[in-house]
Formats: sequence, C-alpha cells, structure tokens
Amino acid sequence: MTGYFHRIARDSWAVCKGMWVTLRTLVKPSITVQYPTEKLTPEPMFRGVLLYDVERCTACGLCAKACPSNCISLQNQVNEAGKRAPKAAWYAIDLGRCSWCRLCEESCPFKPKVVWHSIDYELVFWSRDEMVRCWKPGTPLAGWVHDPKKDAFRDPSGQVVIQEVPARHDEKGPKHD
Amino acid sequence: MSKVDAFPGGKFDQLFVNLGPQHPSTHGVLRVGLTLEGEVITKAEPDIGYLHRGTSKLAEARGYHQCVALTDRWDYVSAMPNNLALCLAAEKLLGVEIPPRAQHLRVVMCELNRIASHLLFLGTYGIDLGAFTPFLHAFREREMILDLYEMLCGARLTYNYIRIGGVMADISPEWASKTGEFLGFFKPRMKEYDDLLSFNPIFLARTQGVGLISKEAAVDWGLSGPNLRGSGVDYDVRKSDPYSGYDRFDFSVPLGKAGSCWDRYYCRALEMRQSVRIVEAALAGLPEGDIVAKGVAKTVKPPPGEAYAHVEASRGDLGIYLVSDGGPSPYRLHVRAPSFVNLAILQEMLVGCKVADVVAILGSIDIVLGETDR
Repeated sequence: MTGYFHRIARDSWAVCKGMWVTLRTLVKPSITVQYPTEKLTPEPMFRGVLLYDVERCTACGLCAKACPSNCISLQNQVNEAGKRAPKAAWYAIDLGRCSWCRLCEESCPFKPKVVWHSIDYELVFWSRDEMVRCWKPGTPLAGWVHDPKKDAFRDPSGQVVIQEVPARHDEKGPKHD
Repeated sequence: MSKVDAFPGGKFDQLFVNLGPQHPSTHGVLRVGLTLEGEVITKAEPDIGYLHRGTSKLAEARGYHQCVALTDRWDYVSAMPNNLALCLAAEKLLGVEIPPRAQHLRVVMCELNRIASHLLFLGTYGIDLGAFTPFLHAFREREMILDLYEMLCGARLTYNYIRIGGVMADISPEWASKTGEFLGFFKPRMKEYDDLLSFNPIFLARTQGVGLISKEAAVDWGLSGPNLRGSGVDYDVRKSDPYSGYDRFDFSVPLGKAGSCWDRYYCRALEMRQSVRIVEAALAGLPEGDIVAKGVAKTVKPPPGEAYAHVEASRGDLGIYLVSDGGPSPYRLHVRAPSFVNLAILQEMLVGCKVADVVAILGSIDIVLGETDR
C-alpha cells in the first residue's frame, strides 16, 4: 500500500517538474515568427535564388561545368566573323533542378561574381516551365521561359512574376571573397 | 513486457495492417506491413524504396567535387558527416593532407550537426509517444544551430560545407562568439529535457523494457551508433578508428544497459552532452592556418584505386567505398548507410510486440529514409 502511494507521489512530482519547465517558458518572450507578416532576413552567406548579370558575363561556361545537376545552359554570341564572342546570347538556369550548392558561384572567375546566390528564399512557380529563368542582353528582366527543345523564348503571358534583376551586387551580393 | 504470447488460449484470424508510407510516425516514407493476431504482431515487413534516387549511380556521372552536393541528400537531418565521409574517402584516394584548422572545423560542424540531429530525434520521439512540449523546446535549440550553419555556409540543411581538401568557408569571430552563446544557452536546457521527457513516468512506462535488443542481436544485425551503444556494446568510430583528429579530444561514449527504447533514447541525450564538450574543446584550441589543402584542383582525377572511409554519423557508422579508374568521376561509389542497416532489425524486433509499441520501437531506431533509400 505504501508503495502505491509512493508511486503516486513520485509520478506526480515528476509531472510537476515537467510542468514547471513549461511554466518557466510561458513567461519568456515568444520566438515564433509570424511568417507572412513578419519576415526574417537571411544571413549574407545565404544560398537563395540564383541571380545572374548578363552584361558582365563572358560566357566561359565554367559555371555550367561545375553544376552537379546540369541546370545551367548558355549560348555564346557569334560575331561578324562567325566566331564565338565572349558574350552570352542567352543564359538559362533551371531552378527546378538547382540544388543550391554554390559550386557555380565559386567557379565564376569574376569578382564580384556574375552568377551568385541572392538571399531571396521565396520562390513560387505555377508550372514547371516557369522554373527555367532566362537572361538575355538588353533586357533587365528575368523570368522569360526558355524552351530548350525549340531553342526559343516564350513569354508565359503574365504567369511568371517578372522580377527586376539587380544589375550589380548591392546588398544582395555575397560578402565573402 | 514486450514479448507476449499470441493468445495461448484461442486461435485468432490474422489481420494485415499497413503502416505508412504516409504515416506521420514513420518519419518519412517507410511502409511497414504488419500481420497481427489480436493485438500481437506475428510478422513485420519493412518496405523501403519510396525515396530512392540512385545517388551512387548518379555519382558515376559527376566529378568528385560535385558528388559532395549529392551526399547532402542522404541523411538530410545531419548532412555534415555525409560530406565528411565522402571527402575522407576521396582524400584517401588523392593522398591529400588536410590542414589542422580544417580538421578542427570539420569536427566542430559534425558535432553541432549531431546535436541538431539528436534534438530532432528527441522532439519527434516525444511526439510519437504523445508528448508535444519537448518538441517545441528541441526545435527552438535546433533552429539556433541551423542559424549558425546559415551564417557559416549559407544553407540550413544541405550544407555542401566540407569539401575535398578542406572546408568551404572559415569561421568568423562573430560566428565563434554566437556558437559560444548557443552552447551557454544549450547546456542548462539538457536538464530541462530530462525533466520534461526523459524521466517522465508516462514516457518511462512507454519506453522502458520495450523493444529490447540484446548485445548479441545488436552485433548480429550490424547495428551501429546509439542503437548499438544502447545495448551496451562499446563501439564508436570516433574512438575505434579516429578520423579528422578525433583522438585529440577528450570525450566519453555513453552506453545503455538494457537495450530498450529508453536506453537508446537516453544514449542520444547523453551524446549531446559529449558533443558540447567536443565543440567547446575544438573551438578553444582552434589552430591557425589554411582551411583548404594545397594542390586540390577544381577537377580532381585520383589515381586508379579504391578507398574506404567511415565516420560516426549521427545515426551510426557511415561508410563510403570509392573506386577510381583514374577519371574525373568515381567508377563506383558505395554507401554503407547506418539507417538502412539499423532498419533491418525491425522485422525481428517487432514480432511478439503489441501493436501499440510499434511506433515507440520504430521511433527509437531513429531512421532517416533519405539515407535508407539513398
């Protein structure tokens, strides 16, 4: 009989100890972030959506070679002599394939990098087509869909959120090197 | 307590119960086919492969540096040891000497990742058994570790931080002080977990004496990690085959006694304390120097040969067998994944248990299906 009451006392004490932890935490400020209304800024090193600067790129193709998921494709411009010019005719990143590993950014020989991870983490698509983002010289916009089969660009009639690409590394550029 | 005779008096019809692959307590896409007689399990068949991506085949078409990004996707809860295992194997093939600073950083990151992984286990295991509060506490601390990783290498789960020849980025003084802050915050929290969960009478009743694994069975089934040590077998790769300078650190390997679910659980709880010790020692004695070994090219071509390297990942002994034919990508990459091996014992362990204990036993094995299926 004493064992029975002893068990009740011991187990109640153990529950009280647990509840005491809960009570102590109750008076502390909440650490939950109410996401859509309140947003955290990622660290400068954060590997977010890839961005690309078409004006400075020489289309060397090192990033495409370094990519483990083969998500970067690009085409050189051709000059009057019919030779490849150090300038990209178009540059496409398939964000559906991207594994956010930063190998492309590290392989880029330029400083600041021509292709780099921004700190943007909000990436939403309506369809798989939109996952391919394409850049062309002369257009400051990314979000045109590149169809690799037809080698053509399609405007998905407003379905894509056309976003302006920062031309230079401003606050979104990488802080290292 | 766990093994019950299947209704010695009468004969019952066999009932097939399908657990998973979308069950929240299977921690991923694991399906277990259970055959019941009354409430007692007579047959259990774990069914895996829902998350198979064929990474060892994918590696054959990628360069060695690119393969590191694949390893993140095995055990996505603790990806640092995965990175490390592949890099150790590739470095063995290449014959590269790793600078001491990089070795220390690797140890720091792997141990922090072990804490994060065990915190996830602790929280979700509580949820499996009906305790919701420890989950919120554990995830609060895990979030801090992930923030540290985000600050250091930019990713929260798929780090790609440990590279062949060294590490990706050096730590900043700010990072070191933030880590010190975290450890200071974390150390008293471990007593709170004990109050909340470890010695809670309901939790004890659900886990102690349930899912017993004997020493012999644990060794026979090839278990590793906390599952093996929960049965009292003293085997830890960090001690038995030290890599990356683990022999320089002073830490103990916690062992369980009975091999029950609670022993496995508490082994992990104690391991977190040891990991804190290692991180503190490694950060205090961080040598100066390079973080990347010299002479590792962007496209490495190791001489023909083979190498095996294993590390003590959060879930056990993670081994990488790497064969090179002299080309830029591995000829063969084989992964000895601890979750895959640990999962196999379920088919023996579950037989004779009550159906209510299945989730308790399954959770205590702490599998990650990304690693099981690879």
